[in-house]
Amino acid sequence: MPGIPAVSRRLLLGGALATGAVAVGAGPAQAKSAAQGSALPSPSPRRGKGQRPMFDVPFDIHETVRVGVIGIGNRGSGMGEGWAVVPGCRVTAVCDIRESRAKALADRIVALGKPRPAEYGGSTDAYTTMLKRDDIDLVYIATPWEFHHRQSRDALLAGKHVVVELPVATELDELWDLVDTSERTRRHLMLSENCSYGRNELAMLKMAHEGLFGDVTNGHGGYLHDLRDLLFSDTYYTDSWRRKWHTRSTASFYAMHGLAPVAAAMDINRGDRMTVLRATATEPKGLADYRERFIDRSHPSWKETYVNGDLVTCLIDTAKGRVIRAEHDVSSPRPYSRINSLAGSRGIFEDYAGTSSTGGRIYVEPDHSGHSWRDFDSYRKEFDHWLWRKIGDDAANNGGHGGMDYVLQWRTVQLMRAGLVPDIDVYDSAAWCSPVPLSVKSLAAGGRPVEIPDFTRGSWVNLRMGLDSRETDMPPVA
Amino acid sequence: MRTARPLRFLGATALATLVMITFAPVAAGAGPAPEPSAPRTEVSVSSVDLDGPAVSTVKVTVKNTGPQRMRSLKVSFAGPVGWAVQPALTSVPGTFGVGATTAAEFRVQVPGKREGFTLRTFTATATYAGGDGAGSATATRTETNGAPLANLAAAYNNVGITDEGETGPGDYDGEGNSFSAQKLAAAGLEPSGRVEALGAELEWPGVAPGAKDNVAGAGQAIALSGRGGKLVFLGSGVTGGATGTATVYYTDGSSTSGSFGFPNWSFDPADAHGATLVASTDGRNRPDGYGNAGIAYRVFAHSVALDATKQVEFVVLPSNRNVHIFDMAIAS
Repeated sequence: MPGIPAVSRRLLLGGALATGAVAVGAGPAQAKSAAQGSALPSPSPRRGKGQRPMFDVPFDIHETVRVGVIGIGNRGSGMGEGWAVVPGCRVTAVCDIRESRAKALADRIVALGKPRPAEYGGSTDAYTTMLKRDDIDLVYIATPWEFHHRQSRDALLAGKHVVVELPVATELDELWDLVDTSERTRRHLMLSENCSYGRNELAMLKMAHEGLFGDVTNGHGGYLHDLRDLLFSDTYYTDSWRRKWHTRSTASFYAMHGLAPVAAAMDINRGDRMTVLRATATEPKGLADYRERFIDRSHPSWKETYVNGDLVTCLIDTAKGRVIRAEHDVSSPRPYSRINSLAGSRGIFEDYAGTSSTGGRIYVEPDHSGHSWRDFDSYRKEFDHWLWRKIGDDAANNGGHGGMDYVLQWRTVQLMRAGLVPDIDVYDSAAWCSPVPLSVKSLAAGGRPVEIPDFTRGSWVNLRMGLDSRETDMPPVA
Repeated sequence: MRTARPLRFLGATALATLVMITFAPVAAGAGPAPEPSAPRTEVSVSSVDLDGPAVSTVKVTVKNTGPQRMRSLKVSFAGPVGWAVQPALTSVPGTFGVGATTAAEFRVQVPGKREGFTLRTFTATATYAGGDGAGSATATRTETNGAPLANLAAAYNNVGITDEGETGPGDYDGEGNSFSAQKLAAAGLEPSGRVEALGAELEWPGVAPGAKDNVAGAGQAIALSGRGGKLVFLGSGVTGGATGTATVYYTDGSSTSGSFGFPNWSFDPADAHGATLVASTDGRNRPDGYGNAGIAYRVFAHSVALDATKQVEFVVLPSNRNVHIFDMAIAS
């Protein structure tokens, strides 16, 4: 595939784990932590001179949020239309390596009765031309993972705010670079973590804040999605980019959809932080077995060897002594689940487990006793997030993934139009994506614990508002 | 029973604030015990903005009312269980002369408002050397919102009594079993009938068999008016560990709390947890009809002490669903 950046040695199976280099750069505090917990250190660079944090920094007020889209595959195509229908939002430019895709999205946006966006494409760098436009406030990126860091960085440097699909970057130094670039440019970068806006996830968060689970001690989340047919499709993932990641890396590529809601419910970066990660991986069996049974011998995938474990599990400790289990499995036959479980001294919630209309089940004292699960329905109703009460019907009509996409897009536009602080910031984005490189590091070291950097540089102790936000209106559209 | 002295009361309206201060025993080596009449260290908790979701700031004030200079002051703060607080503990630098006041600030993550009655308790504890020599002092602030349930019947959430001819609705013990209305009547417990126990005049639930007739404890707040020396509960326990704490709030904003428990309705000794047997029935109703003849299923009474000088306003029941309550009443 032309233009795909080389994958670094650190992500390669069996590649040199840079423990020596990291150890040299580790400060006294990190060395102490590593000695105490046997965790491999992770570098935490100092904040640059004149660089200021992005905590509680509101957006400038934008009467209309003008969006530029980079990457118009399956995800970018749907989300591109999604941005166009949010009140007060306009898609002003679209870009894809394949110009035909840019034109097709522009056509669909016109068909929605919206102004035609400018089209860019034809090369991997075409987006840089688009970034020179002065009628783009927000860049939405939905390209293959290997492009995310560079494109996000370039967009920030061009003075745009950025919403980028998972993961924002795949290397630790890239995550730090995005944090620093956001701080230097005073522009927000937000992981497009739509599942954090899921109805059950937000209710779970509000229940945690209410104290229904008591003191929260543990949570489980993940991304368990049988993608085998899509991974072997010749059309779904452009140039099979996603399958190719399974040939060159052992990592928890994409656990953020389950990790982030649990992290939010634990106030990660807002009173607690993730400190240490340990990873395990099963043997890579699923993709090869699927290929053996269903893929013609002439298919190019037969030249590939799959190395990523089917189930990659990360155990994550937090500073407050909590434990998060984050799972990733896209290559095994199984029903879909993001797990979404949170437990504490007074109860537990589990998603994807109940038979109620919400799909969740619950057991909390003193409401429940007798060791039997209860339906989540009444709790979901009581703790329904204002976003779903306000725009749930619109979300159901407009958005993919059960409406989560629309809620994310509507809320992002509202934040920018009203001049509010983002629910998800660059620190959340970096922390939630850090298991990608850190799982590589842990697995390469036989499952040893590795330190999770503190992307907030010490500010995680401060309570801050996040996804459990106060209800506000969308500013009226003139 | 733990007692508390009110510092301030803002009224039992839709939003009420109750503030109390309590004292810990003298810490070993902390200095001589203060005289009973000696002034005590005063700790107070500022009002808490509960208009969530929000991060609210709370100020804890400590006044050295003792005869010595106060030093090594540390203040801890906690909200309702599961609420994040920053910091949980802070050291206050410096020393404080007699009569001096200092303050520490805390931030608390306040959730969105809930419908119905809510009661939020915040606790601050100061530890120190010098001062009054007590070593520590604690203040609690309780903020309530909404009105308690009008009476115990409004909190009925369980069917504990069924007719032997229709046992299906019963689920006293979580396994579909219930008292037999016929056998209760034989033991003297009939709907709306008077029950005297531990000096209190109680009333057996005035509902038909098969209807909700008792409260499985879940921290419900129940309005109750009166004055007396104790609050008597009528009920029994299911499974094991049917114990808990009842907290009584008075019209002056103060509160007292006490622990009590009921024996299991069948198998515990009748005096377990200090309870008193009120009635014993033969057998029970099971999902498939009356059964277990020859085995006693029982009702007990137990009490917690009240401050007889104060007017009761409401009671918060134990947060333990194994504790089943048919009625409660104040006794002298």
